[in-house]
Amino acid sequence: MSCMKPISLLGHERSITQIKYNREGDLLFSSAKDTSPTVWYSINGERLGTFDGHGGAVWCIDVNWDSTKVLTGAADSLCKLWDTQTGKELANFENGSAVRTCGFSFSGHDVMYSTDKTMGRSCEVLFFDTRDQSQLENNSPYMKITAPDSKVTSATWSNLDKELISGHDNGALCLWDLKTGSMVEEIMEHTKGVNDIQLNKTGQLFVTACKDSTSKLFNATTLEHLKTYKTDRPVNSAAISPLYDHEAMDVTTTSSRIGKFETKFFHMIFEEEFARFKGHFGPINSVAFHPDGKSCSTGGEDGFVKINYFDSQYFEFDFEV
Amino acid sequence: MDSPTLNSTSWADQVEEGELHALPPSKTTFDGSIKRVISYKRSEEDKLLKVVQTFKIEKRRASKTVAMRKAWKKFGAADSDGPGPNPATTTVNDEIFMNFVTNKEELNNQPEEDPLQKLKTTKMGMCRVCQGDHWTTKCPYKDTLENLRKELSAQEQGEAGAETPKAATEAGEAPEGPKPPSTGKYIPPAAREGGKRRGESMFTRKDEGATIRVTNLSEDTRESDLKDLFQPFGSIQRIFLAMDRNTQTSKGFAFITFFSRESAARAIQSVSGFGYDHLILNVEWAK
Repeated sequence: MSCMKPISLLGHERSITQIKYNREGDLLFSSAKDTSPTVWYSINGERLGTFDGHGGAVWCIDVNWDSTKVLTGAADSLCKLWDTQTGKELANFENGSAVRTCGFSFSGHDVMYSTDKTMGRSCEVLFFDTRDQSQLENNSPYMKITAPDSKVTSATWSNLDKELISGHDNGALCLWDLKTGSMVEEIMEHTKGVNDIQLNKTGQLFVTACKDSTSKLFNATTLEHLKTYKTDRPVNSAAISPLYDHEAMDVTTTSSRIGKFETKFFHMIFEEEFARFKGHFGPINSVAFHPDGKSCSTGGEDGFVKINYFDSQYFEFDFEV
Repeated sequence: MDSPTLNSTSWADQVEEGELHALPPSKTTFDGSIKRVISYKRSEEDKLLKVVQTFKIEKRRASKTVAMRKAWKKFGAADSDGPGPNPATTTVNDEIFMNFVTNKEELNNQPEEDPLQKLKTTKMGMCRVCQGDHWTTKCPYKDTLENLRKELSAQEQGEAGAETPKAATEAGEAPEGPKPPSTGKYIPPAAREGGKRRGESMFTRKDEGATIRVTNLSEDTRESDLKDLFQPFGSIQRIFLAMDRNTQTSKGFAFITFFSRESAARAIQSVSGFGYDHLILNVEWAK
């Protein structure tokens, strides 16, 4: 047993929807169902600022690689681009329905976001180049992908901006070629909605979190299914530890069923759970590893973001076969 | 230091303010790398509360961009926050525990599944007639074989004298010494093999050897404190801290079980007489 003293960040009045570290890990970004996405210093939990301007629940947040810009998507059908340092709005993308997922490309120039399939509109993934002012001002994406009949619930850029991986509410995972905008592959490994997709440090693997109580590991270029991590409850979010890149890589899963709100650690290769901890009074909606792997953060339905620094026992822990 | 401002207001305002609002000014002191902020506030019952917040100031080396970002001006809702974490949004929680699922536990879990399989594979009972995998009463060869067996046993005992019932011969043998029971007859425990031995108590404590008792602990002691205190002497198997059921405070004693007796001995030697909080600890072997 090891004990940790988490730092609690209470800046949100409603449940957290997504949390994300920047590349160096010194900043932690959080979005919640209230209207102000927030940025924190991860080292001491100090609040740096809030990005005010949305009029609805903010579903997703992302930061580019040099931490100069932040992208948020919200239920008020707006996707906004912010300046990280000042919190000022740089661009505003208007849509017909709520924005569900968003992401910066690896280069940091392009942005992607997906919209919900509601109000008679189909689910679309839109791409903009932030260097081209005309695209930002005229709200004209350089590419638009229309998802067949399911809603995109999670997505990430992959393979050095050549591809996009999307997870859908019917459990499908799709790989899109971004040169042509066509679907390369579609697999049905999950049976229910895919809540989260996170790449590993090198971007070669990705892990999914699914409502069907499993989390699965895939090859990011071929969508080959590699490993399955089973729990007894829906998995809301999953992340891969950047620190143990060979044998002791961990997959963190969280779950939402009354009374069982835990973060679980699985051994990536042996698919076995080796540790777990509690810390929230409600379901945990999002987890993220610090890029140095020495701490992880969780964002919960209770509106708290908690930064957990692992203690020595976590690092000394040796998985015995 | 406040005198100029106080003089400028009328004495009536001064009294009112003094009664209702005025709180002692908050103080910030620096003690090396420790920053202490003492502030005052009023509780709902209008009692004066003193709030002491202690911060540790650390210097860390970071990359240029990270250091630059640390100096950014706060914005948005955090606009008015001073440097350092704002206690309204950032708090340190009570410690939470990360439970490791060790292999030991898995080994313990495995036998739970086994009994069912065992039942399937092991014999339900052995037939006394044909040694088969069924009860004697259900033996298909009961009629034929039992007669045969009786004849055979009768032949063996032929010299001893005629057809004495089996039970009688056994009764005759018994006084000579305890023999392993050959039939399903009940034999009282005292008469069984090794019956002279004392019965095993259910109160065996496996870890008795490495358990120490710590007394004279203060009320505020927690399990984690004990863990910190005794961890250096060896790995701890179990900590039992007696808690008061109503107040959730320590009752003043605890039992600590180590994995090895040596670490327990070391702990006794080093910690006994050790001043902890404001009390002197008493550590001895648990009885």
